[in-house]
Amino acid sequence: MKFFLIGILYTLLLLTGFVNESKAGEAEENRVDLIGKVVDHYYLDFKPAGTIELPRIIYDRGSFHFYASTTRLINKSEHFTDAHYFGSTDMQEGNLKPSSYIIVRTEDGTAPQLDLSITSHLVFFWLAGALVFIIFIPLSRKYQAGTGSETEPKGALQNMFEVLVLFIRDEIALQNIGPKKYLFFTPYLLTVFFFILFMNFFGLMPWGVSSTADISVTAVLALFTFLATQIFASKDHWKHIFWFPGVPVPIKFMLMPVELMGLLTKPFALCIRLFANMASGKILIFSILGTIFIFSDLFGPGVAYGTSWIWVLLTLFVYLIKALVSFIQAYVFTILSALFIGLAVADHSEEHAH
Amino acid sequence: MELAYLAAGIGAGITTLGAGIGIGIIGKSAMEGSARQPEASGDIRTSMLISAAFIEGVALFGQVVCIVLALK
Repeated sequence: MKFFLIGILYTLLLLTGFVNESKAGEAEENRVDLIGKVVDHYYLDFKPAGTIELPRIIYDRGSFHFYASTTRLINKSEHFTDAHYFGSTDMQEGNLKPSSYIIVRTEDGTAPQLDLSITSHLVFFWLAGALVFIIFIPLSRKYQAGTGSETEPKGALQNMFEVLVLFIRDEIALQNIGPKKYLFFTPYLLTVFFFILFMNFFGLMPWGVSSTADISVTAVLALFTFLATQIFASKDHWKHIFWFPGVPVPIKFMLMPVELMGLLTKPFALCIRLFANMASGKILIFSILGTIFIFSDLFGPGVAYGTSWIWVLLTLFVYLIKALVSFIQAYVFTILSALFIGLAVADHSEEHAH
Repeated sequence: MELAYLAAGIGAGITTLGAGIGIGIIGKSAMEGSARQPEASGDIRTSMLISAAFIEGVALFGQVVCIVLALK
């Protein structure tokens, strides 16, 4: 299903890009910043109320440079400027979107050493993290005080999250890690699940951005699962990688690189899967809405107005699928993390009947 | 240059085809399994999702190669 949608997306993305280009001259003001919506950007969009530009922090040649916004950086800074303005004297020339700014050094036009600026993905990443804290610390206090653990859970919030927490503990952790060690890994799995879920849900809200549509966020999440897998791995895990038991010696040497590759592809697949699923939802919605403008270009505005309800309904449908995918991807990430951890910590010593 | 776009498009199509066939086979077997043994449908659904996720992972590798080709 997902891949069918990604297939259409490739075609539509090209078409919307084409339409965007041909209309660029006449409707510069009303142009939607398509690429800026999909990739990370340095402002929060609250259209039609306006945008808030986020602070820029740039580290270059041994010192940090702080600026309140990208516009301020370009207008005020003597160290940095935009690549489009580089070499020109008129700073007001052109009307670029904040997403298309490329920060370069004023003196030679090369990129600064390190850009630590706060981006929209980072803001919603922090918001999701804060939400996990705000919801779950008071909830755990409640359980320690006895509500829920000795009596019945109270209130909608506690009831709602108890279902999910119990599901992750009993259906994911216990099933995949085993009865001996599952309680040790349950906190990690719960954190990962709710963190990803909240980040995904921020992408469904108006003006919100899902941080999981950023490959660096998913890469860090996958790295944590990888570290958890390797740090708590049993002796058998390493034995199966470097000296596979029960096969002839030449085969052992052949299996070693294969197993090492398998070790690295697991977190890589985790990272790419979450990123691609969340990013494709965004692109898909824009592509479907872009069809209205393609129709307007091909058959005239009348046809575009007449058929626009089809695309709006289709967008609503895709939006609902995105809501479903948000849940499924958080679940899949958690269950695969549990599975990999379970495979690594499993002790094969008692059942050695290879 | 243009051939890279062509390769990316064809590659994306073939990856989609492979993933579609794979997930279709999983869905078919899972439905058969839970029709024969409705009490095991919970376990079957979990393993179905895990296998689908693995196929998705392999297909995503293909998609990444296509994106790299298209962005060249």
